[in-house]
Amino acid sequence: MATAQPLAGLRVIEIGASVAAPYGAWILAELGAEVIKVERPGKGDDARHWGPPFWQDMAAMFLAINRHKKSITVDMRDDAERARLRTLILKTADVVIQNMRPGKVEALGLGAEALRAEKPSLIYCNMGAFGKQGPFRDRPGYDPLMQAFGGLMSVTGEAGRPPVRVGTSIMDMGTGMWAAIGILSALRERDGTGAGTTVDASLYETSIGWMTTHIAKFGIDGAVPGRHGSGVAGIVPYQAYECADGFLVVAAGNDALFAALAGVLDLPHLTEDARFKGNPDRVENVDALNALIVPVFRTQPRAHWQDKLDAAGIPCGPTQSTAEVLDHPQTRALGIVQENPVGGPALSGLPLSFGGVRPELTRGGPAIGEHNDEIFGDPRLET
Amino acid sequence: MTDKLPLAGIRVVELGTSVAAPYGTWILATMGAEVVKVERPGTGDDCRQWGPPSVSDDFRSFFLVLNAMKKSVVVDFTNEDEVARLRKYIVENADIVVQNLRAGLVEKFGLSADDLMAENPRLIYCHSAAFGTEGPYKDRPGYDPLMQACGGVMSVNGEEGRPPARVGTSIIDMGTGMWNTIGVLTALHQRNATGEGCRVDASLYETALGWMHYHAAGYFGTGVPAKRVGSRAPGIAPYQAFECSDGYLVIAGANDRLFRKMAEALGHPEWCDDPRFASNPTRWENIEALCALMDAVLSQHPRAHWQDKLDAAGVPNAPTQSIDEAVAHPQTLALGMLQETDDQIFKLLGLPLRFDGNRPPQPIGPPALGEHTKEILGD
Repeated sequence: MATAQPLAGLRVIEIGASVAAPYGAWILAELGAEVIKVERPGKGDDARHWGPPFWQDMAAMFLAINRHKKSITVDMRDDAERARLRTLILKTADVVIQNMRPGKVEALGLGAEALRAEKPSLIYCNMGAFGKQGPFRDRPGYDPLMQAFGGLMSVTGEAGRPPVRVGTSIMDMGTGMWAAIGILSALRERDGTGAGTTVDASLYETSIGWMTTHIAKFGIDGAVPGRHGSGVAGIVPYQAYECADGFLVVAAGNDALFAALAGVLDLPHLTEDARFKGNPDRVENVDALNALIVPVFRTQPRAHWQDKLDAAGIPCGPTQSTAEVLDHPQTRALGIVQENPVGGPALSGLPLSFGGVRPELTRGGPAIGEHNDEIFGDPRLET
Repeated sequence: MTDKLPLAGIRVVELGTSVAAPYGTWILATMGAEVVKVERPGTGDDCRQWGPPSVSDDFRSFFLVLNAMKKSVVVDFTNEDEVARLRKYIVENADIVVQNLRAGLVEKFGLSADDLMAENPRLIYCHSAAFGTEGPYKDRPGYDPLMQACGGVMSVNGEEGRPPARVGTSIIDMGTGMWNTIGVLTALHQRNATGEGCRVDASLYETALGWMHYHAAGYFGTGVPAKRVGSRAPGIAPYQAFECSDGYLVIAGANDRLFRKMAEALGHPEWCDDPRFASNPTRWENIEALCALMDAVLSQHPRAHWQDKLDAAGVPNAPTQSIDEAVAHPQTLALGMLQETDDQIFKLLGLPLRFDGNRPPQPIGPPALGEHTKEILGD
């Protein structure tokens, strides 16, 4: 395929704010869809103001997930403006994606049922907080609350220490990804039958979804999984070790790799010690083992150990900061960091390529209402 | 939507092991595609051995959640006839191939994108790689914890001044499975218009970078990399986990209005008059003092006590639930997230998506190794 705009020709209306719906719609925009973001006049999406840093009045976070979109303003309290948005959707849209608070779009006459009754080919995606049913269906949801409530915080961080939040919005962004998956599946069906679909995703369902392997284990043995810091349950040594200049994750997941590690660290007696013979022994005696290993790692910088571990075939990787990651030759080689042709900060692109080509960055984020004339001036809306 | 699942009629061949590729094809299988999992004779997918715990020797926990609703065929890659038979099957029958084998293997067996798409230009071929298809690390293997480390996720996860923490679930592997799915579904839509297939490339490393999406934008804007902030949300206070007498409660008093309601609910309206806590920026600046005051109050009573008070005041909050609490919660049950296979052997978590109100069911559990070899590849 020659183009990296596989969704060209598809029109998406985003009635969304904050992260979840805008991130889902951003994925579609990167894939070539025309995404029209509906904002309230004046302040627009709250995320525009989530800074510093700002670039042309847009917070970096807003810019990252709203580039390639068009912006129109609609005052939802104004009947005529709301009617105009409704006409826009019915006459020109393929997809609606929304994350207003529960019941809001229905109250505005812009819900899935009302719109699909008039336009059966419409694909309509609701992104909720706690999902459509259940005692919590009307509660609001935020990423940190979902990390707590869905169980993720119970398996993240160090045992005996306070909970930690995953330092990126995996509930919001994950729900955006599920919305994209649902919409694309519905599109595949519409390609065959002409019929649209209502797709429902929610932050809470996403949070439960992240726990799938933990839940399967729990369902079988009833043991509640705990927190393992930088490590994983049941494999030792498999964690971050502090070197002279930072941390390095070392994954010596079997006996051969453990023997190789003992060689690299110049601690040959480790392999003769009955406490460290097999992985189950090492799991049981992890503190004793680390008491021997930790001081050795501290003597040299990460690059020193990485070279030796690479040569010995032991999987390892440094814990890089955002700055180190973005500067890494591998990151540069992949071309995933994209310069913005209209200025402003560089931005990271979609983690996907089509025919070897990653969708390009051609346009930054829109000003509030920048595309009102273009979108609402469409002659199709008059007939 | 009609009563058919959205991907009914689509045939997928998975040349995959472990988590990333199998998770992506599990999503496709659950949405109605026929997924044929290709495994080596004897031990099959490595993931079959990962455990305990296990339902039986064939079905340990990891394998079963990633492979329900699939068919399994065994192919001996050292046998040219068997490889030729698989190649013929793919060229004649498959819409989509998803593979995450070690770098170089598919080329060796004539199963690369170039080989297969030359014979079937409609084929969609998804390569789910470790570090991507270019660059100095393109041949390195990748594992979820290493990718969380070198992709930057660990640098923003955990407490400042403490060792890095891994996200306690495989967000790199599972995230890559989700990107695989987004890629192949997009290619499928395009094929409907053009008749042409497409190669889709995703990788663990790119997924890790994807999770850093807004941190990258922030870094390019300020030149300062993001730090670890425990359970806090950077720049917002109070917005974190607080210890009650029986566990932790996350409280989100994210603006002045909610802070006032929260202070009243906790019985300390005078906090709102303290100049240190007058606005969000000053609360963030004085967060340690604020937390000390809140900790002293919250530690007096259990979570349920404070939840009732905060709910009544309209202040967003949630307890940090463990897995047993989360799966048993009435909300989880009401949503129908927990499913059972028709034979009642396997309890599985459903797709976090519904189509016209219906969550795709999982009537069939994971396949035994090679269960469908004869059906799919013939004698």
